[in-house]
Amino acid sequence: MSDVLPDKAQPAPERDALEPDVYPVREGIFARVRHTETWRSVFRHPHLDTPRGRALQSFSNVFLHIYPVKVPARVLRFRYSWRLGYIAAVLFGILVVTGVYLMFFYTPSVTSAYGDMQQLRTGVGFGQLVRNVHRWSAHLMVLVVVAHLVRVFLAGAYKRPRQFNWVVGLGLLVITLIFSFTGYLLPWDQLSYWAVTVGTNLVDYVPVIGNLLSGLLIGGEQIGQATLVRFYALHVAVLPGALGLLLMVHIWRVRKDGFAVKRGGIGAFSEGASEVAMDPPVPAETAMAETAVVTEDGRRVRLLGVVDRESVTAEERLTDDTVFTWPHMLVRHVVVGLGVAATVLALGVAFAAPLKDIANPNLTPEPAKAPWYFVGLQELLNHFDPLVAGILVPTGVLAVLAVLPYIDRNPATEARNRKVAISAFVIILVLAVVLTVVGLAFRGPGWKFVPPWDHNYIEM
Amino acid sequence: MALSRRNLLRNGWKACGGLLASAAAWTTWELLRPLTTNAAGGKIKVGSAADFAAGTATYVREGRFWLANADGHLFALSQKCPHLGCRVPFCESSGRFECPCHGSTFDIGGEWIEGPSPRGMDRHPVSVDGDILVVDTDKKITGPDHGAKAFFSPAKGPSCREGS
Repeated sequence: MSDVLPDKAQPAPERDALEPDVYPVREGIFARVRHTETWRSVFRHPHLDTPRGRALQSFSNVFLHIYPVKVPARVLRFRYSWRLGYIAAVLFGILVVTGVYLMFFYTPSVTSAYGDMQQLRTGVGFGQLVRNVHRWSAHLMVLVVVAHLVRVFLAGAYKRPRQFNWVVGLGLLVITLIFSFTGYLLPWDQLSYWAVTVGTNLVDYVPVIGNLLSGLLIGGEQIGQATLVRFYALHVAVLPGALGLLLMVHIWRVRKDGFAVKRGGIGAFSEGASEVAMDPPVPAETAMAETAVVTEDGRRVRLLGVVDRESVTAEERLTDDTVFTWPHMLVRHVVVGLGVAATVLALGVAFAAPLKDIANPNLTPEPAKAPWYFVGLQELLNHFDPLVAGILVPTGVLAVLAVLPYIDRNPATEARNRKVAISAFVIILVLAVVLTVVGLAFRGPGWKFVPPWDHNYIEM
Repeated sequence: MALSRRNLLRNGWKACGGLLASAAAWTTWELLRPLTTNAAGGKIKVGSAADFAAGTATYVREGRFWLANADGHLFALSQKCPHLGCRVPFCESSGRFECPCHGSTFDIGGEWIEGPSPRGMDRHPVSVDGDILVVDTDKKITGPDHGAKAFFSPAKGPSCREGS
């Protein structure tokens, strides 16, 4: 070997020889523990408050490796992204933890599910609180994911080169909605039973395969044991896996596609460094007139051609505006994460998750509303033909959103240069919000108009 | 593309992958297709035609349908509203079916009168076996379109809905 590759055959230097300053010998029991082979097999290097130490911190830690080692300083500002994607991820984490707790006390059976909920409420220490936190986090997650989408749209951050990540994000939104919807049924009370009845019957309006789809979803003619088990399996196994997987892709792509950062003089959020013209170009005829000139150092040079102005450029010098993720970004994320946890905990303490009477297929409550994120669709169904309201509008909106980054060829990201896109989006958004608010708060028995100050029919 | 050994093998692997995917899809479908045992409950004997007076609707719990006598015509009307699947109750005072969820109203024959329902109430076929009426709840006849008014009559009295 050493004959063939003499340079590479050198034995690797001892770690301490390579980094003599890494483990400065100090007195004391902890210093000696940190010197042991065991400790150093777990933590490859100590905390060093140097640029190198901070980079090593990211390189050698699988969890920190989610982050880039350095991020542009502007990313640190709260208003850069409002941390909405991160907040949604934190909420998902809270939902996983509280959800696993709830699984210990829940059996997906029509005979025992409701009893389990009551038992959780009265007989399990902190059971009600964990359920409350789970429910409010779920509602909040839907809200935050939608807000994330709105924010990314308004910032124009879905444009090249981030088109595909926008589509992945859309998939995450759909999974989040199904997640929340499947969880809605599990308490098996009147609220969950009829909300899911109304929600799954929306699927019946899909042409041709509607009945088949709703049959697959609920496992029969009407909601029963088969539905409960299906929703449970989706909720605790299939969807967490799908969401986790897609979330990995999503975060990975954020890193690989680059942060949407305003740079240089041309359009904000443009991909790379901007190009600027250097000297004003010499007019072609002037330049060609003197075909041979003597330069300062005495050489004769001849102009052979004139190139277009555009190519006489130089890269604007990039100032290094990046900062280390550890600790700058991480500290902010910890603070926001704790804030989210505190918020849902406060919500859980203040408001109890509803539990109505046990589900009764023979008693329809007045009115029966879909879960709040689908109630806009239900309201729309009240005004238009089912094919339009139930199918064309929701699938149309989703389809347009999915192909949006590929059909929107406008490279601009500022609102003033995207008047059509922004106005169309805002109009649809306002319509969706109005429909949802009307359906949620202003509809009473028989879907008649009842303002919430007369009677409150809001159910969450 | 020439049929080299490499291409043959490459396409062979793709074909195997496709077969495997079809097998997985078939298995998934067989496992997850709607269970027939969860259907409403086969053929149900509901008694003699004379038991059901004109203008009344009787609820048959085991089949989840209403047996309605509309001017001598007997219909087995599915309780499931064609709109969004709520259970449609019969209102004795108005003599109509009134869905509490979203305000769809149907006449005694299950024909649409008002509300968001896209059609009249769905029906099950009724047959006579000797003197006994038999309703086949496994079969469903899609309800009549909005135009049907064969059994329409003005409301007999006040609606059962809250606040109306």
